[in-house]
Amino acid sequence: MKRRGRGIACMWYPIGFTVAANASAAVVKVNEDGTATLLTGTVETGQGALTVLGQIAAEELGVATDDVHVVSGDTDTTPMDTGAIASRTTYVTGNAVRLAAEKAKAILFEVAAPLLGVRADQLEARDRKIQVKAFPQRFLPIGEVANHAQLIKGQPAIGSASWNPPTVAMDPETGQGKPFNTYVYATQIAEVDVDDETGEVEVLRIVAAHDCGTAINPMLVEGQVEGGISMGIGFALQEEILFDKTTGRQLNPNLTNYIMPTSLDMPDIEVDIVDSYDPTGPFGAKGVGEPTSVPTAAAILNAIHNAVGVRIMSLPATAEKVLAAIKEKKGRQPKQISAA
Amino acid sequence: MTQVTMIVNGDSRTASVPPETTLLMLLREHFNLTGAKLGCDVGDCGACTVIVDGKPVNACLMLAVQAEGRSVLTIEGLATQNELHPIQKAFEDQASLQCGFCGPGVILSAKALLDNIPDPSKQEIRDALSGNLCRCTGYTKMIEAIQESARVLRGGSADQAV
Repeated sequence: MKRRGRGIACMWYPIGFTVAANASAAVVKVNEDGTATLLTGTVETGQGALTVLGQIAAEELGVATDDVHVVSGDTDTTPMDTGAIASRTTYVTGNAVRLAAEKAKAILFEVAAPLLGVRADQLEARDRKIQVKAFPQRFLPIGEVANHAQLIKGQPAIGSASWNPPTVAMDPETGQGKPFNTYVYATQIAEVDVDDETGEVEVLRIVAAHDCGTAINPMLVEGQVEGGISMGIGFALQEEILFDKTTGRQLNPNLTNYIMPTSLDMPDIEVDIVDSYDPTGPFGAKGVGEPTSVPTAAAILNAIHNAVGVRIMSLPATAEKVLAAIKEKKGRQPKQISAA
Repeated sequence: MTQVTMIVNGDSRTASVPPETTLLMLLREHFNLTGAKLGCDVGDCGACTVIVDGKPVNACLMLAVQAEGRSVLTIEGLATQNELHPIQKAFEDQASLQCGFCGPGVILSAKALLDNIPDPSKQEIRDALSGNLCRCTGYTKMIEAIQESARVLRGGSADQAV
């Protein structure tokens, strides 16, 4: 008989390690046609990092994301980046990009201020214009200012910056330190059906609420969460590397017997991006990559407990393990002998 | 060597290959159509999916000579010079791919589905994608994009009930 259960799991995850140098650098230049070029050493692996970094530069410069040409991952031309690791790109590289864009923008403000008859600190960059705060009708197109900066002032609008979450040494006496610069939080809830005759577990639905700071690109955040959940489901129920105990050889080195989730194993997923702002991140953002798969397995195993009352203490919770636990639990219960 | 002739993306193509050559190797190495990917090479991952006479097949499991005289559609045959196929457009709009390695196979599995079932249920989409493994996305945004492109291909508005 299928028994339904719900489980909940929460997690925190650290972003921006501070135990060692963790720098990212970036270069932003504003071109005379009003577009911008961003140089970054980080790498796109499909997570959408370059889109997010382009959005951060665009937001700072007051241009459209499409206006920003991103050059990445080429050590011949791009500045140093610690890497697309540790869920750090939006937070650490994002801060470097924002600072580089801010510096390029400061040059534009300095050049535009006398042309608009105001001080540089009275200007803002919006809608592809350098305009006077509270008087947006007094403006110059950003490309015109960039052109003026280059050809008249001899001061091209280029900014370069690096950002390193301040390294904090560990106290040798107490072992105390501050290993990370910020933290993200999430809660996931899983709803499962457990067949108490076969031990099979089917995940029906997962609801995931993630605090990733301010989401720079909510659609990409959803993609990260959904992908992380699929990895979490594999971790919880399917994926296991089996070794021959005498030779140490892997027994399941291919996708025929190393089982990972297919489209048929995926439940309906609801993603809730929690409203949040981290003042140390670019435009309030933190990160979202790895944290997404942290709570999934715990939520599923709690749901199994809720459904059939057994605690599975090793992953993956295969049908064999769940059924053995159900049988063991039944064996421990005293038999009801009827008086008749 | 064996001579094989087939229709690939609408054009008649001929090659002379060793008889053990798979359709995947013929497409990639002889016709330079590298959209179909070599993943597991044993029919588990679906990255090599192409459409042969309307049916999605693992090109790594089919011999080139088995495709003799048949019509093969690869991912290169979907877009025109001017625009993406509606399935590709929906995948792009909804960020349905991340690393993209499984993408050509997934999109062709989706095309074969929509050619047969213009208005598939979520479960029918899940069934159609069950032979295409994806490590990045959790399949969620792929399913949404296939529902969206099904609406477009049926002639509905792209903006309805996304």
